[in-house]
Amino acid sequence: MALYREGSRDAFEELFARHHRKVINFCIRMTGDQARAEEAAQEVFLRIARAAAAYEPTAKFTTWMYTIARRTTLNFIRDEKGEGERLDAPTGNGEETFSRAARLPGPDSLTPEYIAWSSQLREKFAEALRALPETHRAAFVLNRGEGLSYEEVAAVMGVTVQAVKSRIFRAREMLLDRLSGLIG
Amino acid sequence: MECREIREIVSAYVDGEAHAAEVRAVEDHLGACPACRSLAGTMRVLGDGVGKIEGKVPPGFRDALFDRLEREDLLPRRRSLFAFAVRWTAVPLAAAAALALFILTARETGKGPASPPETLPRVAQGLPGGESHVSAGPGATSGSSASVPPVAGTAPSAGGTGPVDSRLSAESSRFAAEADGGARGLSAEEREIVAYLELLEDPSSLDEPGEVDEMDLFEPAAGRRGSPG
Repeated sequence: MALYREGSRDAFEELFARHHRKVINFCIRMTGDQARAEEAAQEVFLRIARAAAAYEPTAKFTTWMYTIARRTTLNFIRDEKGEGERLDAPTGNGEETFSRAARLPGPDSLTPEYIAWSSQLREKFAEALRALPETHRAAFVLNRGEGLSYEEVAAVMGVTVQAVKSRIFRAREMLLDRLSGLIG
Repeated sequence: MECREIREIVSAYVDGEAHAAEVRAVEDHLGACPACRSLAGTMRVLGDGVGKIEGKVPPGFRDALFDRLEREDLLPRRRSLFAFAVRWTAVPLAAAAALALFILTARETGKGPASPPETLPRVAQGLPGGESHVSAGPGATSGSSASVPPVAGTAPSAGGTGPVDSRLSAESSRFAAEADGGARGLSAEEREIVAYLELLEDPSSLDEPGEVDEMDLFEPAAGRRGSPG
């Protein structure tokens, strides 16, 4: 990034090569649509190029990149506000949801190795993920999808680690509520 | 700890983000609660599901992006081959030019007025005695000057401008010229030394045909070089 700021085209080519797939994956996990994800990803790189002068070398580049990516996808999501079904954040303590989960087949049937991620299941999961509130979705996607730690997610989203922990837990509650009939 | 209290910690536990004390509490609870153990598995599956969603990178994605970046002047353009060649050859060329200039000026400096004059001993020049380090006079000795080694076989002769001296002069001049051409960068003194070294190697080259080597005078007449017998 520092080389790009000094005018190196090759440096930007390298940045793009390293990170474009991550950006596209993040965008599709947040928008749920391939065309929107491509458009959002283009916009993310344009914003990175425009904001290069503001990049602080002391900050981790991926943290900065995902901050830009999250703000960009947020704009795309707001544009489609009102389309499709949205899940509200749970008001209760999720007791019913997790009690239902506890009645699902035993632990062996819910191990990752056992679950067969068919195209139908993936599609349903993507729909359920897209239906989450943006704040919960972003926290869950950044941690589980992009591999950022809770601390890094907190830095990207500008919240505390405890807030990230709660949002990810709530995201799981809502997803399970929507998918309990399919998982298990 | 009750199930509903520990579920949020279980969520952090399956993500590898629980503190040490929380890990102990969760593992103790999961060991005793099959329902929460099942729940932990379900939470892990939900996390894995995010990774199953992947986008496609269309073929023209990069080109479209870079075109747009160039239009907005956000991407440095590739330097031309000419600029690349100038950039990467200018320094070596300049260094080579400086080295050549240094060598040329060093050679010029060697021939300039500030350098010691290129003078061979007078005897080598075929000139009469005087300032010559090797005096042509009979009283002169070869050790009169430390800078000029005595030429073997050429004792100071009575006549400084005799055939030996002129031949020596010619040979020395020739050797000096060869040394000058073949040993670039030598000072005048060094060229002089080289010339005399050549003579030392083959002093008989100074002999005129038929001339008798003084050392042969002690040998029988039949063995004298150049002697008619």
